[in-house]
Amino acid sequence: MMDRLRFSASLVLSGVLFLAACGQTAPVRNARLELAAEYSQSGQRAYDRGDYLTALRQYEMALQVDVAVENTLGVAIDMLNLARVNQLLGRVEVAHAYLDKLLLDDALEYGNTYLANAATQKALLMLHQGDVNGARSWLEKASAWCVAECLLESVIDNARAAIALREMDGDQAMHWANRAASASRGDSPLEYANALRHMGEAHLMRGEFSAALRLADEALVLDKSLGLPEKIRQDLLLSARAYEGLGDAEQARRFRARAARIISR
Amino acid sequence: MKLHNYNQRLLNIEQRTKRFLLGAFGAMLLALLLIAIKQDYLVRSTAIYFFAPNAQGLNQGMAVKFIGFKVGSVKEVSMEPNATVRVRVALDDDYVHLIGQDAKARLIKEALVGESVVEIIPGSQQVRQVTQNSVLQFERGQDASSIAESMAAQLQPILSDIRQITASINDPNGDIQQTLKNLNQVTGDLRETVNQFTQLATSGNQKLESVHGKLDKALDSVNANLQVMDKAIPRLVEKADATLDNVQAATSDIQRMTADSAGELPAFIHNSNALVQDSQDMLDGAKRSWPFSGWFSKPEAQVLPADGYVTPEKP
Repeated sequence: MMDRLRFSASLVLSGVLFLAACGQTAPVRNARLELAAEYSQSGQRAYDRGDYLTALRQYEMALQVDVAVENTLGVAIDMLNLARVNQLLGRVEVAHAYLDKLLLDDALEYGNTYLANAATQKALLMLHQGDVNGARSWLEKASAWCVAECLLESVIDNARAAIALREMDGDQAMHWANRAASASRGDSPLEYANALRHMGEAHLMRGEFSAALRLADEALVLDKSLGLPEKIRQDLLLSARAYEGLGDAEQARRFRARAARIISR
Repeated sequence: MKLHNYNQRLLNIEQRTKRFLLGAFGAMLLALLLIAIKQDYLVRSTAIYFFAPNAQGLNQGMAVKFIGFKVGSVKEVSMEPNATVRVRVALDDDYVHLIGQDAKARLIKEALVGESVVEIIPGSQQVRQVTQNSVLQFERGQDASSIAESMAAQLQPILSDIRQITASINDPNGDIQQTLKNLNQVTGDLRETVNQFTQLATSGNQKLESVHGKLDKALDSVNANLQVMDKAIPRLVEKADATLDNVQAATSDIQRMTADSAGELPAFIHNSNALVQDSQDMLDGAKRSWPFSGWFSKPEAQVLPADGYVTPEKP
């Protein structure tokens, strides 16, 4: 008798708990924030498949919505993404403009992580344009902002390695690239492959062609797994230069031919 | 003088007797030595045993061989109280270390007609070597007679089958004889068929000529039919015109029906929209409720990954 009562009670309790769980709903975001998030997510999907124009449109719409409801976090993310997509589309000045809006905004206050990201992107843009001093200056700022919960250390170190390579300082380039590789190994295959490529360049600079070839091979495997055409091309060119250094002109020609077949999109 | 001669002769006889006895003793020792050598008494040996179900082929003194070399001999073949045969083998101590406890003794014949020997089949080298009074497993190898028996047993059914087949071939009512008869008959029939076919070919040539004439007539008939169709087609075209008129009338009916329902369509579309919206709301609500809320990832804005690689100036 007691057993039956106990069983009934537990059944009722389970039912009540189940209903309570059903009634519990996830915290609701307002419709505009939902819309902005959906635009942003759609932009990311387009970016992932290399459709940068679509990504640009989606991020622009997300930014409009986030600005309308003054979603500071969303605005920062949208502007960083717009800068990145514009850079990839070759619109360097537009990219600079978005980053400047973020970095020089004295009305809204963005988090240090976003400022560090913007400063890093700014430095990389300047480096692309050949402004080494400007890039170094922005990297210093990025490093200062990149403190807690900042995942940009390997990016900053890679950028420093790139600067050292521009200055033909193979030892410094190796130092920063090694740091970048240590920071990104296991976390970011993109940055790890970048670090390997920088190390390969540094080895080439020192005349260590076999080591450069080995690193280029490793980077190529990673970049192929990530599906990054431009990086694959750079890895193949690095291998070609290493073969040239080793005196194997035939292999160098073959790798250059392979690189020429890669069409970036 | 005579006494002296007598004594001298006695002395000679004694010396001869001594020499004879010494020679006999020496010969006896030599014989014993030969026997001992023959019996391997002078060789240090280890006694081992094996048990056989019967003593057939097992004899005292038979050689014991190991990988073709004589390593001992059978010393004793005796019957046990349980009606098995115990065989004692003396193994030369020089070879004992080569024979493991798991070695086997096999009774074999060295040739098709020859002496039987006990062959020691080596066991695993890892196993401890045999010692005094060790017991080995025994098996009997196949000799010529057992092979012959085995072959005879296998050949018996084959011979019996051959006998049956031969009998079947010779049987006038058997399948083979009948088949041969049928084959003979078929050959005769075939000859007749060839004759008939020749006749047919001759008559075919004649008929083909008549068919050619008939084909001419058929083509004339087709021509006549085409003329009839020429007359009929204009009438068919007229009927098709009427059909198209009917289709046009049906289309105008549909247009009129669409015009009549035009006033109701917007309301219908509006209601459908509302229905879709309600469904969307319900779906959104469900997506936010447990347990479905865990199934769908909420869209979140994320920063694109920065790329720390800058293309070198001179690739």
